[in-house]
Amino acid sequence: MPIRIVTTHLEFEGQVYEQRVVLEGDEPAVWDADAKLGVVGQPVPRVDGRERVTGGAQFTYDVALPGMLIAVGLRSPHPHARVASVNAARAEVAPGVRAVYTRFNTEGLINPNGERPIFAEEVVYQGQEVAVVLAETRQQAIDALRLIAVEYEPLPFVVDPEAALAVEAPHVQTTRENNSIGEDWPKIYERGDVEKGFAEADVIAETRFTTEAALHNSMETHGGVASWDGHTLTLWSSTQNIYGARQQVAAALGLHQNQVHVIKRYLGGGFGSKFDAHNSGLLAAWAAYHLGRPVKYMLSREEENLAAGNRPPSVQTYRIGAKRDGALTAIELRAVGNVGAFGGWFSPVSLPAKEMYLCPNVRATDAPARTNLGTQGSFRAPGVVEGIAGLEVALDNLARELALDPLELRRKNYAPSYQIIEKPYAVKTLREAYDRGAERIGWATRDAEERRYPRGRDSSLRRGVGMASQFWGGDGGPPAQAIAKLLPDGSAVIVTGTQDLGTGTRTVLAQIAAEELGLPLAAVRVELGETEFGVFSPPSGGSMTLASVGPAVRMAAAGARREAMEIVSHLAEAPIDALDVRDGVILNRETGKEMGSLGSFLGQLEGHEVTARGMRGPNAEEVIVRTFGTQFAEVEVDIATGQVRVLRVVAAHDCGRIVNPLTFSSQMEGGIIQGIGMALFEQRIVDERLGVSVNPNFGDYKVPTIRDVPEIEIITVGQPNPFANTLGALGAGEPPIIPTPGAIANAFAHAVGRAPHGLPLTPDRVLALLAE
Amino acid sequence: MRAFDHSAVQSADEAVAALRGQDEASLIAGGADLLSLMKADVVAPAHIIDLKPARDLRGVSVAADGAVRLGALTTLAEIERDEALAERLPILRAAVRDAATPQLRNMATLGGNLMQRNRCWYLRGPYACWQKGGDRCFAREGQNKYHAIFYDGSCVAVHPSDLAPALLALDARVEVVGPAGPRALAIDELLQTPTAERRREATLAADEVIVAVTVPAQPANAHGVYLKLMERQAWAYALVSAAAQLALTEDGRVEQARVVLGGVASAPRRLPAVEALLVGQAVTPELATRAAEVAITGATPLAHNGYKVQMARELTRRAILQVAGAQRDG
Amino acid sequence: MPEQTTATRRPIRLTINGAERVVDAETRATLLDTLRDDLGLTGAKLGCDMGQCGACTVLVDGEAMYSCLLLTVEQEGRAITTIEGLAANGELDPIQQAIIAHDALQCGFCTPGQALAMRALFDRTPHPTDDEIDRALSGNLCRCGAYAKLRTAARSLAGR
Repeated sequence: MPIRIVTTHLEFEGQVYEQRVVLEGDEPAVWDADAKLGVVGQPVPRVDGRERVTGGAQFTYDVALPGMLIAVGLRSPHPHARVASVNAARAEVAPGVRAVYTRFNTEGLINPNGERPIFAEEVVYQGQEVAVVLAETRQQAIDALRLIAVEYEPLPFVVDPEAALAVEAPHVQTTRENNSIGEDWPKIYERGDVEKGFAEADVIAETRFTTEAALHNSMETHGGVASWDGHTLTLWSSTQNIYGARQQVAAALGLHQNQVHVIKRYLGGGFGSKFDAHNSGLLAAWAAYHLGRPVKYMLSREEENLAAGNRPPSVQTYRIGAKRDGALTAIELRAVGNVGAFGGWFSPVSLPAKEMYLCPNVRATDAPARTNLGTQGSFRAPGVVEGIAGLEVALDNLARELALDPLELRRKNYAPSYQIIEKPYAVKTLREAYDRGAERIGWATRDAEERRYPRGRDSSLRRGVGMASQFWGGDGGPPAQAIAKLLPDGSAVIVTGTQDLGTGTRTVLAQIAAEELGLPLAAVRVELGETEFGVFSPPSGGSMTLASVGPAVRMAAAGARREAMEIVSHLAEAPIDALDVRDGVILNRETGKEMGSLGSFLGQLEGHEVTARGMRGPNAEEVIVRTFGTQFAEVEVDIATGQVRVLRVVAAHDCGRIVNPLTFSSQMEGGIIQGIGMALFEQRIVDERLGVSVNPNFGDYKVPTIRDVPEIEIITVGQPNPFANTLGALGAGEPPIIPTPGAIANAFAHAVGRAPHGLPLTPDRVLALLAE
Repeated sequence: MRAFDHSAVQSADEAVAALRGQDEASLIAGGADLLSLMKADVVAPAHIIDLKPARDLRGVSVAADGAVRLGALTTLAEIERDEALAERLPILRAAVRDAATPQLRNMATLGGNLMQRNRCWYLRGPYACWQKGGDRCFAREGQNKYHAIFYDGSCVAVHPSDLAPALLALDARVEVVGPAGPRALAIDELLQTPTAERRREATLAADEVIVAVTVPAQPANAHGVYLKLMERQAWAYALVSAAAQLALTEDGRVEQARVVLGGVASAPRRLPAVEALLVGQAVTPELATRAAEVAITGATPLAHNGYKVQMARELTRRAILQVAGAQRDG
Repeated sequence: MPEQTTATRRPIRLTINGAERVVDAETRATLLDTLRDDLGLTGAKLGCDMGQCGACTVLVDGEAMYSCLLLTVEQEGRAITTIEGLAANGELDPIQQAIIAHDALQCGFCTPGQALAMRALFDRTPHPTDDEIDRALSGNLCRCGAYAKLRTAARSLAGR
């Protein structure tokens, strides 16, 4: 089949990339709102539920190979130091030890992106690798770690981002005069005339809002298990990106990519932190290759929390000008970020200020700073969660100054089109989300006495209702491939190279294939998570898995069905246009007669497997595709103890077609619950004198428990989005977390009559705020 | 964890004998705290002695006079589920039901709960802090939001037990056996501010074993509450907790009072001045407010825990009012 | 064969999912180490190794406990139920069925622990209230946030 090369645009985690993609054939027509679908849209339970509830699901952490060595890491306790010497002599001869790797015996071992040695002479954050011990058992490796003597020469460090950006600050690891991440930073975006906008304003509201570093804390840590057989390096990797990991391992070891096989059967969470092989996976591969023994290196929880990424802290300073009627005249934002030691990009904290509300004059500065702390990683809607929280709190501050209803202020400044470049939104249903969410939460009665003071004014309990909204990409894009195979018995195998993070990818892809193939869901099996047998799929992140891989699966299935129908037409001597297949049974459309199962035809051929390939087509260029949604939160604050509890969240989101309402609502709830954690207690706590984090564990870094989870109501808004892709579906992973912290912050402000200066709303901060 | 020898004992006396002459031995009961300390390499006993087979450390019994005896191996879950105990001493169920998690309550024992080390992140982390023989307290000038607002020693960590404040409010005594035979200590004798010679909160000698905790018979007109503030709704140590056990006359006057704060000092902090203020008075909101002010007198919060002063004040007030309310409602 | 460390080892007899097993345990081996590394039962997960996440939950004589904080040498004679033992003869436990039906899981890493914590709840309390459900599951972290659906699954088992 002839190919063509098309240039298209892909938005990933808030950044737009131009890319050239190879395409062949044509995608099937979009499933629009009128499409009559039987399997797609049904709330079917996960196809791999059984494995996940029986312990049968094999996570990377569970892989055990004969003769496997266990690696355990020794990491810097210092935020910045020169590793003068590492004496591992005693460790090397300790029981069970097979190797100790340090900077002195790993020449050529560089990190997955090929930027720098994994074992550096100068360590620039607490938790950076200094040595790795490989032993027969984990205990032996841990025993040997204690026998390693490291001589550190401590160096000056900086952990505060604003201090780091000063010219006289200690240098984290650049030769620039400050710790900015590049010559072209800070980046300033400007449209219109901001000074003029403020001059025209009747009211100017100023808000300073901080967010703290949030740690992903996937239940399964980063790591890998590697084995080298002299020809093939197999890496079981806890990754969201098996093809990226393959490329990295091949490059690191000087192997052909066809010699590297990356496997991820089940992934214990990622949330954006696992977009590569990680140093740990690469170390496992390196060690296996050099020692000729399988090697497992999974991070400890502490290593995970120091050295596997975080949502970077932000300091956001807003000035927002408006006319008396609420119309915005100017937005100014300076966002300082703390991207840690090796941060090379900055999550788009300023994006909401540029896009969310209609405003002709905007100036937004992103000023990320490198510091001697663990490097940031993308974390579920990176930047935008923090940016929405800051912007929405700033907008509520403005509403208070204008004495306007916060929701009315947002309606007044509804942005009908994309403002960063002149393009229309493909679909924007946010007004509907406002209406339906407001009705369910009871926005109209939010100020009612009995609601705000549930036990009367003498009690210290106060309740409030607040809201915040989201936009996100989520339409995915190419390249993504899939293969559909129909086996002689009429069952199907769908092959992709994507990853199921726990979102239900296997299930929704099976639904799409079953729909297109006319098979019952049980007759479709989806294979994913292996590079060798799969076909290229993008990293699973950016809410783009379904929207990228789903259309490729659909196209492959359509191709397979076409070929199968040709076969049936030939064997049954019936015109192909008269044939249909439903639930695996061939029907004659004209007579309505059942002609036998698909398998009864395919089985007549000797060992023929119908095989077809599908590819995700280019994105729509003329419009901007977005998810939109809004969330309302009701909270209760005890003003005498500073305790905040979320009572209720109503979430109204438009993510286009919902392929599976059951797994969709799980994604929604999961995002909201993580947002509650960020709003109420999640926070990396840094001792600034020592330059270290003191809570890299689940005991002191608190994530939500079931008791922190309120009643959550999910409302789906909108229809299949015909501009998104042939499914009309958008991703749902990131949208739900975006509004939650901001909605809670605004509900809190409504409850106590005072806006928070930042998140999380821990009792210490709440009581300090109330005492101001 | 470092390697260790392991043995088990069948009785408290066997445990004392097994400890004799052992410098680096540690008793284990539920093990939840000990194993986490060992995994973090905070402690590294060469010998572990398992108390769990010791039958004489088990069991809950009520004497004819109403005194309660809880074997040291009684789990927190057993305390939580014991209906007769909850009827007699509701403060104990209140103290354990928000402690840790169901799994940990199934494992953790009364003795171990009293003997657990504090949760300071510098103690548990790789820092040569004062309790570990170092010369400084990292928390005092460092991150201390969970730390003490009353302190006079070299360490500003707080004792994490939920049971200990409740037991102190009940005037419980800890039965201990050692080489010199049995003795009994009050909770505030067992748990004290660490000293240079004893760099931990528990005052037991290394060769002593907790056998049981006894709670004396409470007056018929006594009621108790335990209130706990956490940073999230479950699975968190108390930021501040308050235990109050008050005996009230029919006309609402306080006959006896024991009021204790947790989460504010290196040991549960009994509030004698508050008790003195309450005795003989009818409980009113005004009285509770005054008592609450007395409760926090002398607090010297650190850089990040000023909020605990307000919490301690409010929780003291609420505890007193709730006991009085329970009396009225009951 | 791996070299022996100085630590002593000893044979320990356990009943694992109904079958008697004898394991040669190092004194410092946790029950989680034994299950995963010696017996190949990887359903109990190592999420923190500190008793702070719940992913290693198993039933010991019917009670939910964190296997990462139990020494194997102290479990002599005890009956251990892991997630691999919850389904009987290929038939899923009603708890497992409810978790699937209500999508009370996402990545699945914490799910074995959640299922066993729920089993322990229903063994003691066949018709738990919402508060009892929440309390029983409060020792099992789920970072994906399947909590709302875990609650729904438990409610359905409670007959609501």
